Amino acid sequence: MKVKLWGTRGSIPSPGPETIRYGGNTSCVWVTLSDGSLLALDAGTGIRSLGLSLGAEPARLHILLTHLHLDHIQGLVFFAPAFRPQTEIVIWGPASPEASLRDRIARYISAPLSPVEVRELPCDVSFRHCPQTEWEIGPARIRVASVAHRGPTLGYRIEDGESSLAYIPDHEPALGADIDALDEDWISGFALARDASLLIHDGQYADREYPDHIGWGHSSLSHALSFARRTDARRTVLFHHDPLHSDGRLDELGSEARGHWAALGGEDGGVELGAERSEYELPARTPSAAPSA
Amino acid sequence: MSQRPLELILARNLMSALSTPAFLVDEGGVLVFYNEAAGMLLGKRFEELGTVGPDEWGSLFGPFDGDGEPIPYDELPLVVAVRNGRPAHATFAIRSTDGAGHTVEVSAFPILTAHGSQGAIAIFWPTASNGADG
Repeated sequence: MKVKLWGTRGSIPSPGPETIRYGGNTSCVWVTLSDGSLLALDAGTGIRSLGLSLGAEPARLHILLTHLHLDHIQGLVFFAPAFRPQTEIVIWGPASPEASLRDRIARYISAPLSPVEVRELPCDVSFRHCPQTEWEIGPARIRVASVAHRGPTLGYRIEDGESSLAYIPDHEPALGADIDALDEDWISGFALARDASLLIHDGQYADREYPDHIGWGHSSLSHALSFARRTDARRTVLFHHDPLHSDGRLDELGSEARGHWAALGGEDGGVELGAERSEYELPARTPSAAPSA
Repeated sequence: MSQRPLELILARNLMSALSTPAFLVDEGGVLVFYNEAAGMLLGKRFEELGTVGPDEWGSLFGPFDGDGEPIPYDELPLVVAVRNGRPAHATFAIRSTDGAGHTVEVSAFPILTAHGSQGAIAIFWPTASNGADG
C-alpha cells in the first residue's frame, strides 16, 4: 500500500509563502493498494493537484469521505477525472437520516455555490453510504466507525495484506474524557487505529491553543499523541494543520511533538507532521511504515 | 474487546460531567456505566462494580414501589427505553449499599441513531423524601 498526502491543512485552504513546505491545501490522501486499486481519502482542495497528476488515468477510483465539511469536499468539482466520461468514480461517505449522500453533496455541487450540478458531471459517478460492517475494495478490507467530531463523521481503517492505514483527520477523542485513563473500548476511534502501520490523525492545535477550542472537534498535539500511544500505532502523521500555523510554527510543533512522543516512551521517528506530497510505503509484511520520501 | 458506539462514548463523557445521578445501558441492556453522583446514591462507585448484565443490575438497588414491593425488571424505565425505543418515567424507591432508602424520580430515554438503538440513559432525580424511606 502506498500513501501520498495531497492536502494536509484543516478548515480552509491557506496558500502563501508561509505555508509552502507543509502545504496549504485541505485534506486529501491518495492510496494505491497492492493490486493497483486507487482510493482518495477526502476531497479537500488537495484533490485538484492529485487529479492533475493522474493524466488520462485511471479508469476507476474510489473517494472515501470522512464527512461533508467544506474542507473535505471543496475540491470535488475541480477534480479532473470527474470530467472524463470514461472514468468511474465511487464516492463513499457517512449515512444520515436527513438525506442521501448524493443529495447532501449536491448542496455544494449546485447553484449558486457551484457552476456545475452533480448530474452534469461527465464521469460515471455513484454515491454509497459506508456500511457498518467491513467491506472490500480490491484486496483491501475497509472499516469505518463514527468518531468524535462535529456532525456525522467517520474514521477509516484500510487493511491490505498485513499493512493497515488508519485515517482520522478530524477527531477530538479527549472531549470530556481522559484518554490516558479510559478503557480502550471507551475511546473514540480506538479500534480503527489499534496497531495501525500508519495513523494519520488530527493534530490541529498546540496544547496552549486547545482550551479556546474545546468542542470544536479537533485534537491538541498532546491528545493526538496520547491517542497514538494508547493505540500502539507504529507511525503517526499529525494532520489537519491549523490554517494559522506557518511552516515555522509547524516546525516548532513538530519538535514539540517529538519531545512529547519520547516522553511517552514512543520510538524515535514514530511521529511527524504531515507535509503535502509526502509519500509512505507500507510493505505487506514488515512491521513499520517505511518513508519513501 | 469491541469498540463502543460513538453515541455511548459521548453519552458517558457527558454523564461524567453531570452532578445528577445517571445510568447508561448498551443496546443489549447491559449496564455499562454510571456516574459519580449515581455511585454516591448507590453507595458504590462504578469502578468497584464494573459492567452488569441485564436482569442483574435492577436487583442491585431494589427498586421498590410505594408498598415496598419489588418492581419487575421489565417495568423499569431504563428497560422500557432500551427495549421499546421510547422514553419512560417512574417514581420509586431504591436502597443503597448502606441500607439507606431513597425515593427517586427516574427519566429514561433511548439513544437512537441512524443505525438503530444503541442503548439508553436514565437520570435519577432524588426527591425531597431522600433518606426518609426504607
